[in-house]
Amino acid sequence: MKRLVLIWALAAVVAAGTIMTANAQSALDRILKDKKIRITAEVTSPPFGILDKDGKPDGSEIATAQQLAKDLGVELELVQVTSPQRIPALLAGRADVAISSLSITLDRAKTVMFANPHGALSIVVTAPAGTKISSAADLSGKSIGITRATLEEATVPKVAPKDAKLVFFDDIGATIQALLSGQVDCASFSAFAAKSVADRNPDKKLENKFTVTTAFYAAAVKPGDFDLLRFLNTWVWLRTRDGTLAQIYQKYTGVELIALPTF
Amino acid sequence: MFGHRARRCPHFQPRMRYVFQFGIVADHTDELIHGALSTLWLTTCGAVGGLLLATLCVFLRTAGPKPVRWAIISYVEVIRNTPFLVQLFVLYFSLPALGVRLYAEQAAILGLAISFGGYATEILRSGIEAVPRGQIEAARALGLRPFKIFRRIIVYQAFKIVYPALASQVVILLLGSSIVSAISATELTAITNSLQSQTFRAFEFYFVAAAIYLGMAFATKAVLASLYWLMFVRGREA
Amino acid sequence: MRTFGLSEFIFLLAAVRWTLLLSLVAFCGGIGFGFLIALARVGRFFILRVLAQAYIQVFQGTPVLIQLFIAYYGFAVLFDLRIEAWTAVSLAFTAYSAAFLGEIWRGAIQAIPRQQWESAECISLGYFAQLRYVILPQAFRIAIPPTVGFLVQLVKATSVAAIIGFIELTRAGQLMTNVTFQPMIIYPIVAALYFVICWPLSQFSRLLERRFDATRGITQGL
Repeated sequence: MKRLVLIWALAAVVAAGTIMTANAQSALDRILKDKKIRITAEVTSPPFGILDKDGKPDGSEIATAQQLAKDLGVELELVQVTSPQRIPALLAGRADVAISSLSITLDRAKTVMFANPHGALSIVVTAPAGTKISSAADLSGKSIGITRATLEEATVPKVAPKDAKLVFFDDIGATIQALLSGQVDCASFSAFAAKSVADRNPDKKLENKFTVTTAFYAAAVKPGDFDLLRFLNTWVWLRTRDGTLAQIYQKYTGVELIALPTF
Repeated sequence: MFGHRARRCPHFQPRMRYVFQFGIVADHTDELIHGALSTLWLTTCGAVGGLLLATLCVFLRTAGPKPVRWAIISYVEVIRNTPFLVQLFVLYFSLPALGVRLYAEQAAILGLAISFGGYATEILRSGIEAVPRGQIEAARALGLRPFKIFRRIIVYQAFKIVYPALASQVVILLLGSSIVSAISATELTAITNSLQSQTFRAFEFYFVAAAIYLGMAFATKAVLASLYWLMFVRGREA
Repeated sequence: MRTFGLSEFIFLLAAVRWTLLLSLVAFCGGIGFGFLIALARVGRFFILRVLAQAYIQVFQGTPVLIQLFIAYYGFAVLFDLRIEAWTAVSLAFTAYSAAFLGEIWRGAIQAIPRQQWESAECISLGYFAQLRYVILPQAFRIAIPPTVGFLVQLVKATSVAAIIGFIELTRAGQLMTNVTFQPMIIYPIVAALYFVICWPLSQFSRLLERRFDATRGITQGL
């Protein structure tokens, strides 16, 4: 009896010991030493992250992550996340870098460190052709599907009229489903996602009604990983110069990448 | 426990880097209270609807024709052996293809009622089987019609026997209502999710939400216990 | 547009193993810690009884989704640790299982009549020896049917991990819905797969109940 308890206690201690890892060395050193980098992957956010026909993650942000891993010379481990999980996965140490179309906003900048942007997007409100919406005021009395922890969640509620019904989902896929099945009158996504959904469902005749805002998105790291941040900035600068990032962007979005600012 | 780690990495010092800011939660008390009330409302609708459904089902299960009995047995088994989240997804995402479009709150209440109904049917059934057979035979001998027997003798006593189990199931329903946040219904978990994603104070908000649920669970148990006393104990012989 | 076909179904089947693995890990961990909780709960030390009771009340009185959010969002940030997704989710469900199993086994142990304890004491067995040779073997028989019943509850509970994007059967269903846009086929199939896993376990639990002739446990988690 006592032995059993002892064995369980030992097992608990060993388990605790293996999950606790020292944060003493810098993140970049650790990645290079372990020869592995863990990057967030949102696979329900077209075209930034999708599942291809073999069920493998694909998309512009995932291709960017693959490029980063290749340039570091390490193995890539994709940490699958939903929109609300992108930053928490980073902060909890489940991922080293977050490359999942994280738009640069002030609030986010308070909790994570952004690298220089490597892409741009715009947030639109989209609805079937029959629905008459031409500006934020027309949202009055309508239900809008919004995904949590995204740029649209931060911006659309501010411009929507008081009697618009905001419907929040935990996952972009769920928001898309709700729009397609008519559970919400309209929805807000990035323009690329809206285009992707419209193209794949031509019978629904979805069209973008108006643009809410535009933003640049960037990779993010946990506060304190300064050398990893420095490396990312250098990498983004180099890969922008030789056009690799523009190439990836064009391939998945079909749009030319505009000039990216640095800070 | 950290001995071996400390020896290998002298800089390893487990420490709390996180700074708690519960004040931010206090700023949003109104929204949290609104969420808690929504949760209680959803739970009440689900429990009442489910109980009515269960009473009907258990009557049909004992007194109905064979195909109806099989249908109810299947319904109960499906509810008890599939996750509530998947049941909600079927109601909210799959039904529109058949032309039935439910809004989130409707799907949530319907899902809660159907789920509670499944478990309650089984609970009531075991209660009914526990009613002494002699009572039913005596009632038949007195010439009472089946439905009257069912209502006055069986249901009352069965209900009294299984009341604790039903009360536990209501608390389980209350806690399970947090899952309806996944189909965007408004209740405490959904509001907590929104608040924490806006303020980046995940731990504080979820901690407070857990405390609110705990409080609601205790309150529900207390209310149901007093209901039992009111219905079955007060003014009656033991 | 992709339609739901064999490859999509295989994707769902492949996700079943994560559901099963998570359930198994949480179940085994829960058995170990639940056993300690049960012992603490019926033990001689007041402080242990109170702590164990508090633990059980907290985990049975809060939604499993909130427990998962706290484990996934908050826990690692508190102590500046790096916890993998699997570890966080397994720990959350293990803690959840430990509370419920502890409560089940407490009931089983307390169902053993006082005389058994006294008789064991009469033949000069110490407390742990009483437990080990007299009480637990009898409690074991009573505890098995509700324990198997809880395993069904646990498999269903793992579905909420989909909400945080953890890959298991429900999440796989969401992902497939996202590429095929056919939720009317996919979610009923996901439900059917859960049914195939859970129903045999439920039937087994009922069979054990009848064999051991113990008091029925008729409440169940969502």
